[in-house]
Amino acid sequence: MKLTVPHLGYIDIFLGSMSRAVGPEFVFPPKTSQRTLSLGVKYSPESTCLPFKFILGNFIEALERGADTIAMISDRGPCRVGMYDVVMQQILRDLGFNFTWIAMDNTRLWSNYFLRFDQERKEWGASVWETLQALRLSWKKVRLCEAIEKRVHKIRPLEVRRGETTRALVECLRLIDGASDFRELRESREQCLEKLDHVEKDPSRIPLKVLITGEGYMVINAHANQDMERRLGEMGIEVTRTMWITRQITHALHLDFFDPRSKRKAIKASKPYLKHNIGGECNASIGYPILFKKEGFEGAIQLLPLGCMLEAVAKNILTRVSREHDIPVLAFSLDENLSETMITTRLGAFVDLLQKQRERRRSG
Amino acid sequence: MTLSIGIPRALYYYRYFPLWDTFFKELGFDVRESEVGRRGLIEKGFKYADDDNCIPIKMAFAHTLGLRDKVDFLFIPRLLSLDSKTCFCPRTAGLPEMLQYSIPGLPPLLDPYIDERYRNTGLFRSLSEMALNLGKSSREIKHAYQKGERAYQLFCKRMAEGERTPELFERVQKKPLTYIKDGFVKKIAIVGHPYCLYDPYFNFDLLRVLEEAHATLYTQEMIPKAEMDSKIREFGKEIYWASGREILGASLYYLDSNEVDGLIYLTCFSCGVDSMIEPLVRHGVKENGRTLYLCLMVDEHTHSGGFLTRVEAFLETVERKKANRRNG
Repeated sequence: MKLTVPHLGYIDIFLGSMSRAVGPEFVFPPKTSQRTLSLGVKYSPESTCLPFKFILGNFIEALERGADTIAMISDRGPCRVGMYDVVMQQILRDLGFNFTWIAMDNTRLWSNYFLRFDQERKEWGASVWETLQALRLSWKKVRLCEAIEKRVHKIRPLEVRRGETTRALVECLRLIDGASDFRELRESREQCLEKLDHVEKDPSRIPLKVLITGEGYMVINAHANQDMERRLGEMGIEVTRTMWITRQITHALHLDFFDPRSKRKAIKASKPYLKHNIGGECNASIGYPILFKKEGFEGAIQLLPLGCMLEAVAKNILTRVSREHDIPVLAFSLDENLSETMITTRLGAFVDLLQKQRERRRSG
Repeated sequence: MTLSIGIPRALYYYRYFPLWDTFFKELGFDVRESEVGRRGLIEKGFKYADDDNCIPIKMAFAHTLGLRDKVDFLFIPRLLSLDSKTCFCPRTAGLPEMLQYSIPGLPPLLDPYIDERYRNTGLFRSLSEMALNLGKSSREIKHAYQKGERAYQLFCKRMAEGERTPELFERVQKKPLTYIKDGFVKKIAIVGHPYCLYDPYFNFDLLRVLEEAHATLYTQEMIPKAEMDSKIREFGKEIYWASGREILGASLYYLDSNEVDGLIYLTCFSCGVDSMIEPLVRHGVKENGRTLYLCLMVDEHTHSGGFLTRVEAFLETVERKKANRRNG
């Protein structure tokens, strides 16, 4: 079995580390590129959302590389991600690919996945202890990746030579991915921190703080949002985003009581504006700007794929939130016709606005 | 003084209106629906809606705006699900808030939370809670709901018999076929969300155009529930959107039964449900290979000329195919 999954944040580092220790074999799609998107756009139905197109492109490229099993989440609505599996399977089979599809929904979780995973583990010859250790190592790796990235978000607006932090980040991720046990992971952590310390900084700058919120796939994947975080960082803005793999998993497992920025708290914060949780990231998208405003963030950017049903609701309501909480929100509704100029122009204007706002606040 | 309740002619009004209407009337309210769509009215409302909304939602904005100063309450149900398997499009779930925040000066909204799937507040429970808050007794409510339910059943029955019920769609009346071209009746199945199919402003009165072109119409309402369920079971995956399930089930039913000559799918731009269901229907058509298929997408800029030309071309193709088959 050669399993593949779509790119989503650091999921490839997590699963890659797992698979090296306890199997099964993974064939990851190549890094999402322009080719991925063109393949996705070519074979997708026209009016599907952007994540569909990226993920379909990922699958095509992974199948070309020899993957024979696809694992993909499924759902029972109301977001259309739950229907991805049927439509994608049809498209890929029409293209002549042969594969097994594992639709991971939340029904019969135990019998479908845990038992299956257990069987795979036995075939691979790994003990339960080894599996648990591998799970812990992989989890730590992802945690470390995210910690490094959070630090990068703080450093990037201060860097003196443009692009230095981004280069350091790429090296760090490679180091972390290469670590094969806890000792190596600790060492790579030290090295990473050292690398980031070496980036030349200008401590006199006080960067603006901006939050990136919106639909999960668009927020977490740099390829989907046109490297929004890097762009903003290089404009001298400190960014953070709402969607992290670990935060998402702890939320799903109800283990996020102590996280001050947990999704649960965001949903609670959105209550006055949207009475009921309507699913997806809609409520969190509304709640996060309110939470982060209290932490001193000065603006928010909402990312949504064109035609997203849930985020369109959030977008409507965010205009009100923006007014009442005095936090400017810029909404980007993105589709495959991305133009760099459009993005930089709009970001530039938004940053100007924030700067003006800050000056006004200082003077009066 | 009787209080008046306004119901915008939008979204699931086109399916559940008989129930809502009878329910409120029995409780002694004065029910006012918004005007039938007019260009000026609709375009005024579009200005209030965010551009990422689909047209049916924008229509809801327009119709709500039309009722703003005329009623004491607005009835905007928060429809999430009506049975344990399916749900509605999430946009309808957020509609009350979207309207409230976008249109200034709205009267108080009645937004019963209808979610049978996760909270067990079905239509009856949520409506009765709402009516209790308005000061009605539970006996009255029960009586009114039963009447409403009966009206809805009657409506469903008439829809299943192929009638466009006069109270809802008075402008479109079934006419006897007086003239049948070449001895043929074109049988056209037409599927789509109820608010796409039965809103004559949205679809340029497509149903009447088709009937005037001597087509017998087959809609998703005509299929018995058991048939629909069996089609979905055959398909393999439970479709979780109520209207999507209906559309796919109906399309597959008509395709498999070979009852119809052509299938029309009416959809609107940026509809999330249709973007997933349409490829499945298209796939079904391709596998079937006999039925002609037309997918019509409407957006704000769709012009009746271009739209109707496509419909006419489609009808002609259907006719020609029938003639060819007869001749040889």
